[in-house]
Order: sequence, then C-alpha cells, then structure tokens
Amino acid sequence: MFLNLNKKNPDKIAVIDDSGESLTYGDLCKYAEEFASALPYRTLIFILSENTNGSLLGYTSALSNRVVPLIISNKTEQTLFDSLYEKYQPEYLWLPTQRVDDFDSNFNEIVYTTHGYSLVKTSFKTPELYEELSLLLPTSGSTGSPKLVRHSYRNIEANAENVMNLFELTSDERAMAVLPMHYTMGLSVIASHLYAGATLLLCNKSLLDAGFWKMLKSGATSFTGVPYSYELLMKLRFTRMDLPNLKIITQGGGKLKEEMWMHLANYAQEKGKKFIATYGQSECTARMAYLPAELALAKPCSIGIAEPGGKLSIVDAEGNESFEGEAIGEMVYRGENVTLGYATCKDDLTKGDENHGVIHTGDIARRDGDGYYYIVGRMKRFLKIFGLRIGLDELENLICSNFDTDCYCSGTDEKLIIKITNSDVIDIIPMFIEEKTHLFHQRIEIIVIDKIIRNEAGKVINQ
Amino acid sequence: MNNVEKLNEIFVEIFSCNVSELKTEFNKDAIDGWDSVRQLTLTSAIEDTFDVLLDPEDIIACTSYNAVIDVLRKYEIEL
Repeated sequence: MFLNLNKKNPDKIAVIDDSGESLTYGDLCKYAEEFASALPYRTLIFILSENTNGSLLGYTSALSNRVVPLIISNKTEQTLFDSLYEKYQPEYLWLPTQRVDDFDSNFNEIVYTTHGYSLVKTSFKTPELYEELSLLLPTSGSTGSPKLVRHSYRNIEANAENVMNLFELTSDERAMAVLPMHYTMGLSVIASHLYAGATLLLCNKSLLDAGFWKMLKSGATSFTGVPYSYELLMKLRFTRMDLPNLKIITQGGGKLKEEMWMHLANYAQEKGKKFIATYGQSECTARMAYLPAELALAKPCSIGIAEPGGKLSIVDAEGNESFEGEAIGEMVYRGENVTLGYATCKDDLTKGDENHGVIHTGDIARRDGDGYYYIVGRMKRFLKIFGLRIGLDELENLICSNFDTDCYCSGTDEKLIIKITNSDVIDIIPMFIEEKTHLFHQRIEIIVIDKIIRNEAGKVINQ
Repeated sequence: MNNVEKLNEIFVEIFSCNVSELKTEFNKDAIDGWDSVRQLTLTSAIEDTFDVLLDPEDIIACTSYNAVIDVLRKYEIEL
C-alpha cells in the first residue's frame, strides 16, 4: 500500500487537524477502501486542497488506489482553475463538500463524501495515464501555470524514505504540518511522517492564528517553515517561548538571510534543539540537500550536502562536472526522487521518465573545500517571494494577454518589479497580480518606461 | 490627521478597500486575502504609525477592524 500505511500500528494516530479531529493509520486504510468502492479504477482527479483531514484523505486514498491526483490549492483563483480544468480534464474532483455547488453546471454526480470533502464526477472521460505516474503538482502554484511536475510512485516513496533518514524520524514524532499540502515541501512533510508512522499536526490556520500556537504547544516535536515563516515566528518572539517538546526546526523554500540564520542556529544551540536547513525543488519531490544541525553555526546559509540516497555535483562554465573540491557552476542532482518530467498538456500524462534520475537544477552553486554547497544565483527566470515560486515568463504572458501594454518582469526574492509601457494601467496591475497570484501588492513595484527593447533572440536588453 | 484617519489609511493601503467598508464586518474571515502576510504588515504599520510595540498575543488578536481598535486602546491610543 502507498507509504506502507497498512503496515503501521492501526491504532496509532496518523493525523490531528486544527478542528481537533484525529484519524488513526487504521482509519486511513479504511477510508482508502471506501474511496476505492466509489472509484474503483485508475483515472485523473483534481484535489482542491486545504490542510484538513478531509483533504488528506483524498491524497492518501487516491495514491493508495492508483488514482492520479493533481493537487492545487482550494483557493486557486477561478480563471486559473478553469484553464487547468479545461486543459487536463479530470474525471473526478475531490473538493470541500460546501464548494460542490460552485461547480454545479459542470457536474452531475457526488459519488462519495467523508470528513467535509466530496468526490464529484465530471463529464470528462478516463484519460490514458503512464503506468508509473502517481501525482501531479503545479510548478508555479501562484501564476497558475499549466505546467505540471509528473511524479512516479517511487519518487514519493524515495523522498519519504530520504527525509525520514535525514531527520532520523521515528513514530514518536508529532510534526507541525502547516505548509500547504499543494506545496511540494508541505506534501513532503506529510509523506515522510506518514512513512515513519508518526503523527501529523495538520494546520490550516495561519501562523498569526491562535489555533496554530495551540497546536504547536500541544507537544509538536518539529516545525518546518519557509523563510517568511521564520520572520513571523521571530516577530512573535518565538525564541523566548518555552517549547520543551520541539526538537527540530527546519527550513526550505528559499534562502534565509544570514542574520535570521544565525539567530535560529544560536537559538537551537542554546536550547538543545536542531536547526536543519534544507534545499529542494518540486522537480525532485521536494528535498534534495540538507545541512547537518551540528554545522549550522560553522557554515551559515549553506544548503549542505545531498540528502541520504542522493548525489550532488557542479557543472562549471566549461561544462566540466565535478563531485568534490571547490567549484562553482550549475548544481546537478541525482537520485530516485528526481521526477519523471513536466506535463504541459493532457497528452503528456502518457509520457514516461524523461529525466532518468538526473536534474539540472537551474541554480548556481558554490562548493567549498569541505564539499558543502551554497546557492549563489539562479539561471531560471523566477522569484521566490514568501516561499512562492513566481514564474516571470508566465507573469509577463498573464499581463500582456490581459492589458494593452508591453511588459518585463524582474526583481528579487523580496520584491517583484514590473516594467510596463502603458501608464494607464499602472494602478490596475498590482491589484490584478494580487488577485491572480495572491502575492501581496506591496511587494510589487511598477515602473513605466517608454519601450522594452528586445534583441533578435527576444531577450530584453534594457532590463 | 486624527488617529482614526491614520488607522483607516493603513487599512485602505493594505487591503485596497474603501473607508466606508471599515466597520464591524471587516474581519479576517470576511476579507478575501487577509492572510499572515497582510496581518503582519498591518501590525507593523500600526507599530510604526502609533509608536507602540505590540505583544505577540496582540499581534495574533488583530483579526478584524474592531479588534485592532481594541488592541490600540489597550496601548492607550485614543480612537
């Protein structure tokens, strides 16, 4: 069974969500069987996810029954949802029961309901799917890019296994799972702890909600966050709180500022906790590298070494690949968690493995003499603001197809900069981007310029 | 500008709303997009504007327009 869920202690609590309701490993198996009697064959579904038990049951039940889900946020903006829906044509949706009526014109049949979620049949037919295809996630959760990452069954299990080993997870863990399920690292927290037979504290509330703090203080043993999560925690003076059960604080989803890093590393050392920074991409089923806790103070801002089961290398400007010694260049990863490849249309769901266990990360890394990696730049055009990947090409397409302006997007992981040529749309664009991507408009700067100049290859010259 | 006007300006800027919407119903559950990013921006702007340092539980309590007023009164800001 998926993640060997049927081999755990059936009476052990697998998950408690923020409503206080819990499910045992036995329950996960039982609901997977119920799901199978409602949907007894392999097909494509969309999961409109929240961090709740109902949403989680859709994930564990679908994967246990070889039903392939695309997991997207339940808050996905409607037109972005519609484009994914038309493009991939899921035969079923797993969505909050209270939202079923939002889609009534398209759907005719609720086939199964449990824990506030329903399985609804659409009018689409069963698609052809590659036999090892297990799960789809969007590459850019926020811009609604139709480009998806194709995962195999082995990818998910390999990630769960590697993460379990690197954190030395046992069934005694109570992991705070507050990163969204539709986000690769959020899903990695879920899969790795279920694989370890541990208990998930599944939280759909924000870090500024009393409900989150209640869960964290109810004996959570680990917390996983993105850089922005730690900004919030620091603002709430988290390091002064008495959290005796919390053993591991871990971070991914972008680079921490050095000051924050040192703050966390010192806090962990003083309080006898482990601070473990990690690095990953959805293309590799989340995690790929980690810095062992004992090196947090000695190697600030390093992503460390490959996770157990993986291998990192650097390809320098001359194209030479090296696995040790000082080097700088594009970082390459090898491992069983390297996904099958992308899908940009429905037909791609029949494709097999295109990566063959090797991924060129698109990140520029430096490796020090001891073999530890540091991310120093990025080859691909995207930003990571609040842990969200924002594809700049996709954003430009979105703006140019909705407004009468030329546009060029750039920026840092702090701020998105949009250059436009039509000053009439200067006030509308930040609101438009906020509506589409949920990126806070104060993190967007609009600059009006006369003309965006491109060379023959289409590359923008006046960046 | 009086304190209420200053507070309203903060809300309008963060939530892109009209001053007329700022009443009892203006809260976390009713406002689409009221997330931790906006809430922390809100509380930081309040700290800067009114020269106060909010306790963590007060930052967490700022989940509606009325709650923000209650929090500010606790810090002896007249509204």
